[in-house]
Amino acid sequence: MRFFSFHLMPYPDLPPDYDGPAWITCPNEFFDPRLGGDLYNRYIDELVYAEELGFDGVCVNEHHQNAYGIMPSPNLIASILARLTSRVRIAVVGNALPLYDPPTRVAEEFAMIDCISGGRLIAGMVVGGGPEYYSFSLNPAHARERFAEAHDLILRVWTEPGPFEFTGKHYKLRYVNSWPRPVQQPHPEIWIPGVGSLETLEFVAKHHYAYMGIPYFHISVFERMFTMMREACQKEGYDADPLQLGWLVPIFVADTDAEARRRYEEHFWYFVRRLLPGINISPPGYTSVRSSENIMKNAGTFALNLDSWDEVVDGQYAIVGSPETVTELLAANVERLGVGNLLGLFQLGTLPAAETKQSLELFAAEVMPKLRASFPGTELAAPPAAAPATATS
Amino acid sequence: MTTLVRTTLDSALGAIEVHRGGHGGPAPLVYLHSAQGEGPGATLLEELAATRLVVAPLFPGFGDSEGLQHIDDIEDAAFHILDVLDRSGLPQCDLVGTSLGGWMAVELAVRWPERVRRMVLVNPVGLYVSGAPISEIFGRRPSELAAELFADPDYPLAQLMRAMDAMEADPSQIPFELVRPILQSQAATAKVGWNPYLHDPKLPGRLHRVTAPTRIVHARQDGIVPRAHAEAYAAAIPDAEIADLDGAAHLAVLERPDEVVKLVLEHLGD
Repeated sequence: MRFFSFHLMPYPDLPPDYDGPAWITCPNEFFDPRLGGDLYNRYIDELVYAEELGFDGVCVNEHHQNAYGIMPSPNLIASILARLTSRVRIAVVGNALPLYDPPTRVAEEFAMIDCISGGRLIAGMVVGGGPEYYSFSLNPAHARERFAEAHDLILRVWTEPGPFEFTGKHYKLRYVNSWPRPVQQPHPEIWIPGVGSLETLEFVAKHHYAYMGIPYFHISVFERMFTMMREACQKEGYDADPLQLGWLVPIFVADTDAEARRRYEEHFWYFVRRLLPGINISPPGYTSVRSSENIMKNAGTFALNLDSWDEVVDGQYAIVGSPETVTELLAANVERLGVGNLLGLFQLGTLPAAETKQSLELFAAEVMPKLRASFPGTELAAPPAAAPATATS
Repeated sequence: MTTLVRTTLDSALGAIEVHRGGHGGPAPLVYLHSAQGEGPGATLLEELAATRLVVAPLFPGFGDSEGLQHIDDIEDAAFHILDVLDRSGLPQCDLVGTSLGGWMAVELAVRWPERVRRMVLVNPVGLYVSGAPISEIFGRRPSELAAELFADPDYPLAQLMRAMDAMEADPSQIPFELVRPILQSQAATAKVGWNPYLHDPKLPGRLHRVTAPTRIVHARQDGIVPRAHAEAYAAAIPDAEIADLDGAAHLAVLERPDEVVKLVLEHLGD
């Protein structure tokens, strides 16, 4: 089991009377640059502190034009972390490949971070969220094609001697020859986040990558998703390594269950009611019809529909409580889901620095050691042969 | 009993669903539908088929028409429609297009003007007019969109769209068979119209190539396309005029078929 501290870098200061979406059209006059600077530095400190507390890694991600996560360039933050830390894996989960044109930019920046960190990068690749296709005016009907082509290009950049020519449908490059190259050979570990699209699961299984289940759904949705992932790996002729599966979940620990809820609940609701609205927009053609059906089935359990704390607890949308309660719930779910990577969101919504720090400390001191003892194993088995660099699904 | 029957045409992109029927008139009438995918069973087409041969192909992604994976932009659409005309045995036709279909009609007419005898565009998109933006059609609440598409809030489809708002929070309650065709047709519309948004920056410089006498029907309550677009078309197409229609909005072809048929036949002649 590997433990990661994941940060969304949310904006905690939307005006109380604003009830619009936090995405695409949320007025950027609400962004106070001075506060923004404080937040970036505080959030970076929280990630760096995770190393001191014994986490295996830290995670950052990419979103644009929104208050949910003010990190349009996770690579900037990851490069700072590469310099400020010395041991943890740095997972960028991920770069939204279709938004980079040409996507050799991703290969270059990831290779830089891998060099600066001495080979600690985990390279996440993602199609990008639905809102991103509005924010970039990028055609969502081309999203999957561009992602697949960009992925092939990046893998070739890392594994084939340059210069070479790349001629795809969306990218035509006459001289591909990235300086630098990544420290990790043949390439950094690759993670793909997803919400259960079949195409994505099949793609991850085929390439022996790791699949990160994106949160804010009822726990039963994750159970189905990881079962589908294991089935997809079996179809490819192998059993999924638990370290190929990651579960992302908000976590808060305090001395007692009652105290944990008392200190956490309002911050969780800010996140759900103020920062999630707008995240679930699905632009036309963004998802295949086959996957849309599956995703629509789960939509009713999306956290935006939550009304009461009982529902949060029942569906395990967040794991909140005393060290004993949190240990017990996490152990049961790790067992049930069969995951080998726990990605904890320790800061969420408006949760202040002091609360975040205390929760992280309690988790590291009283939860993590017990889970480590129950779920040993932190080395990913190598795939039988190097994953093919050019085949697409 | 309907006059139009469903046929399948083997196109370069795959099987295309074509609704065809009626006879008469100086030239066959080809109807190109909007992003709504209207055609099968539409009153408008049945009325036109009373005096004309009507051919109404469904664009890839609509109905059972295949080949959307080969469409990337509006030029692909124009070449596809040319292919449909060729394979339907139509060396020349009258073209009638609504909204997205109006845009496709013009893209065909600027490239192969000899293929079009006369043309009627109903609330066409296709142009960028500074200060008169085309309303957003993607990602809107169905109830908001309904108010821009229909003049009469009680029109059945407008009522249905308002009812869809209530199901938005939990889409798992909507039968997927209802959703599937909408997802497909929206993806098809996005392929040609996401960016540039429902227009072709090259089109204005090509409009002088149109030779067909053209009537642009503008519905006065159209909440999607401002009248300035009809004016821009009328100013740049050599032989063009605007016909204003009262009591109708963007989907006038569905809501006011009798009036639209009258305006179409009046322009096409018999």
